[in-house]
Amino acid sequence: MSLLGENLVRTDAVGKLTGEARYTVDYDGKDLLHGSLLRSPVPAGLIKAIDTTVAESLPGVRCVITAKDAPDARAGWVLREQALFARKQVRFEGEVIAAVAADTPEQAREAVAAIILDLAETQAVGDMETALAENAPLVHPEWKSYQPVSGEDYPRHGNIASELMADDDAVDVAFENADLIVEDEFTSNRQYQAYIEPKSAVGIYRDGRYTIHTGHQYPFNVRDRVAQYLDVRPSQVRVIGHSIGGGFGGKLDTGLEPYAAILSKFSGGRPVKIVNNRTEDILTCPSRENAVIKMRSALDKQGNLLGRELICHMDNGAYSGEMAFMPSVIFHLAGSVYKVGNIRVIARLVYTNTAPTGAMRGVSGVYFCAFQERHMDHIADELGVDRREYRLRNLVGNGDTLLSGQVLDDADLLRKGFEKMEEAAPWSQLNDNKKPWHGIGICAGTWITNSMPGSVQLILNEDGTVTVVTAATDNGSGAVSMGITQIVAEHFGLPADDIVVTMPDTDVAAYDGGSQGSRTTHIVGRAAGIAADELKGMIFDVASGMLEAGRDDLELVNGQVGVVGYPDSRISLGDIAMTATWTRGPLSASGSYTTAPVPYNPGCASGMLFPFFPTPTYHVHLAEVEVNPVTGNVRVVRYIVVQEVGRVINPAGVRGQIQGAVAQGIGHALYESLRIRDSRYLERSLEAYRLPLAVDMPEVEIITMEHPHALGPFGAKGVGEPAIILAPATVACAVSDAIGRPFNSIPITPEDVLEAIVGKEKQL
Amino acid sequence: MELTFKVNGHPERLELEGHETLLDVLRDDLNLTGTKEGCREGECGACTVLVNGRAVDSCIYAAMAAQDMEIETVEGLATSDGLNSLQNAFAESGGVQCGFCTPGFLMMLTALLDKYPHPDRVQVRDALSGNICRCTGYAQIEEAVERCIRQRTIE
Ligand code: FES
Ligand code: FES
Repeated sequence: MSLLGENLVRTDAVGKLTGEARYTVDYDGKDLLHGSLLRSPVPAGLIKAIDTTVAESLPGVRCVITAKDAPDARAGWVLREQALFARKQVRFEGEVIAAVAADTPEQAREAVAAIILDLAETQAVGDMETALAENAPLVHPEWKSYQPVSGEDYPRHGNIASELMADDDAVDVAFENADLIVEDEFTSNRQYQAYIEPKSAVGIYRDGRYTIHTGHQYPFNVRDRVAQYLDVRPSQVRVIGHSIGGGFGGKLDTGLEPYAAILSKFSGGRPVKIVNNRTEDILTCPSRENAVIKMRSALDKQGNLLGRELICHMDNGAYSGEMAFMPSVIFHLAGSVYKVGNIRVIARLVYTNTAPTGAMRGVSGVYFCAFQERHMDHIADELGVDRREYRLRNLVGNGDTLLSGQVLDDADLLRKGFEKMEEAAPWSQLNDNKKPWHGIGICAGTWITNSMPGSVQLILNEDGTVTVVTAATDNGSGAVSMGITQIVAEHFGLPADDIVVTMPDTDVAAYDGGSQGSRTTHIVGRAAGIAADELKGMIFDVASGMLEAGRDDLELVNGQVGVVGYPDSRISLGDIAMTATWTRGPLSASGSYTTAPVPYNPGCASGMLFPFFPTPTYHVHLAEVEVNPVTGNVRVVRYIVVQEVGRVINPAGVRGQIQGAVAQGIGHALYESLRIRDSRYLERSLEAYRLPLAVDMPEVEIITMEHPHALGPFGAKGVGEPAIILAPATVACAVSDAIGRPFNSIPITPEDVLEAIVGKEKQL
Repeated sequence: MELTFKVNGHPERLELEGHETLLDVLRDDLNLTGTKEGCREGECGACTVLVNGRAVDSCIYAAMAAQDMEIETVEGLATSDGLNSLQNAFAESGGVQCGFCTPGFLMMLTALLDKYPHPDRVQVRDALSGNICRCTGYAQIEEAVERCIRQRTIE
């Protein structure tokens, strides 16, 4: 029986349901020390002196370290701009200045409080407008000296951390010839990943090497970043994964790991554990960036799009992480759903003295789609054309190209998505039956399956089971505990119980690009398939000797090899493994995979560019909302997702990804927001940061479109992110429809709703 | 100060300073790390345990207040036959993703189902309003409750 499309229970379910599962915070041991960090209390300032003598003398304290104890090195994902400890300048509230290891967490915290910090607060660059103003103070006066990790520099200057430009003079002509110009400005606030497990890490320094225990989405990134900070070779760092209590992009770069590592070194090699409290976690988590987009479209009389201009400013915070790439996300998405004619894209990443932003599920695509879809609604309204109809008229199709020149082979799936949606929820019927204070939104989008490399080693054990050695991580999504497990089991005709997947360990498994960009099932699943084919070849070699039959006459069925047509000839994988081990050596095989680059036009833009938009998927969403005109509360009463998935490996897993992503999207659209005042977050606890609860959530209706991908494992593509890409867009369009006023800023709070209702009444 | 109480049926006696939370005592003194801390302010519900059958946020519950009480944690749910019907329903419905919220949800729902063996949807949602799950979007957790009720009715 095939396991594909079966709701197998995830392999880590029992541990997570009984309390046996070990998260990093559960790490314990007799010699364990506890770390705590002194963080900058101000968003910008100059350190004049740090006095640690009192702190060092307190009971239980093993070491107190500051910049003078750390290597004089800067680290970064894309740009080496951040030092382990602030040396002179602090650039955001929460930046680390010193670290303590002590026998108990309380002692460590008391020692941190006893460090005497002489700090002169300086003028902070609190927002992008200030940062871009003429003569603005520089967040990094020494920005020129920073080294790009790849060795190749990219457009950046002053407070602009990264800039992408795609210009076409024809855009000006389009606007000159336009019969109608539609213009909008959109803003979105920061969204916190808000995984329920705050960050933690354990560091151990022994035999000249660092071992890190961490529940992390991207162990090899931890290895590389810790090596940069501590100025050692990456292979001097070993990262061991644990169960991850959610990540959503917030656990893709290092957090506490390098501090735990260096504290252990200064504590005689004893393990040191550091755990964020929730406030620290919020203050330092790389949240989804706030952004401002100006979008302007030129149209002819018939409503055809002649050209578009798009200027996007994204708040980088004080350090770049992987953000330097994000302007390129805007560029790729700008031509991925609708034919927009000639286009000018200017996307800038702007330094401010605020917490560094980063990747949250769907990254910059989430607000970009919200704005693009709101703009499409606006244009349709101006033209007096139905919103759905206007989208259908302008949809890209098979053979259309992105702005980079990349050809979209399967873009007709967008139209098919609209058809599926129509079957589930006929548009005109919904509109005709719409109750007062109800609104409907319909949106379309594309998303990627991240191409980062992955690898798998498969070992056939002597008991007939298969061990999967991989550094791929399961951040909770099921990509490993369902996806990879089920894929490997399917290749050998074994039950999932016979597949053992290792936890990530950078000393044991080869490089993996982390649980990001919806990549793990697709990339690592494909690597597993390559390894499985090779291992099966070895199995057949051995079995052919055992069965005295030609290799080509053999088949592998239900974990047994036999001669085709002779059902009695079966021998088990265990017997084959045992024979192989003692005659030719144990059987194992490896597979690696990364998406092959797609041809594009390198002159398409200047700036840091993801060269291609790998393995796109296509989606249509529909939402119906109900607005309470008295309280301003918005309730999503119906939500439908049509999602192209390649191939469903585990329906319960796919459902969990879609339902969970829509929840986060509704949160972004209606409640969640890290607001900044005077360069500091206003929301500093889970009480203040409003997350979606069970009562807020509709049961999402899910329609999957299977369209197997030639290179995906059994056809699978990325599933984890697409549903969040369109959720804020669809909700924002629905709320705008309900009230008859444009909502061009997310989140849409009850105050915004009430203000819009009052504004409308005044207008009438 | 001495704290005497029962945890998952076992009598325990601990010497405490008095300011400890129940969560810290369970995790640090009794090594019952299944109960999780997500916020330490009574907001997320990850630390939910039962005190004499009532669900409480153990992160804001003084350990000394549990004097002579019976505490149940996630570690006490499974039986010698394996997962209990609620745990099983979570596994089969896909109610677990990262699992960090799961112990709290299980304990909250254990309390609910003890009190109301057949809760309606509104009761379930109300009971869950003090527990945050960032992964699932709640649908499969709610389905797990329905599945568990069905299963218990058959039994
Ligand atoms: S840790 Fe107790 S409610 Fe969050
Ligand atoms: S399963 Fe991750 S928070 Fe609920």
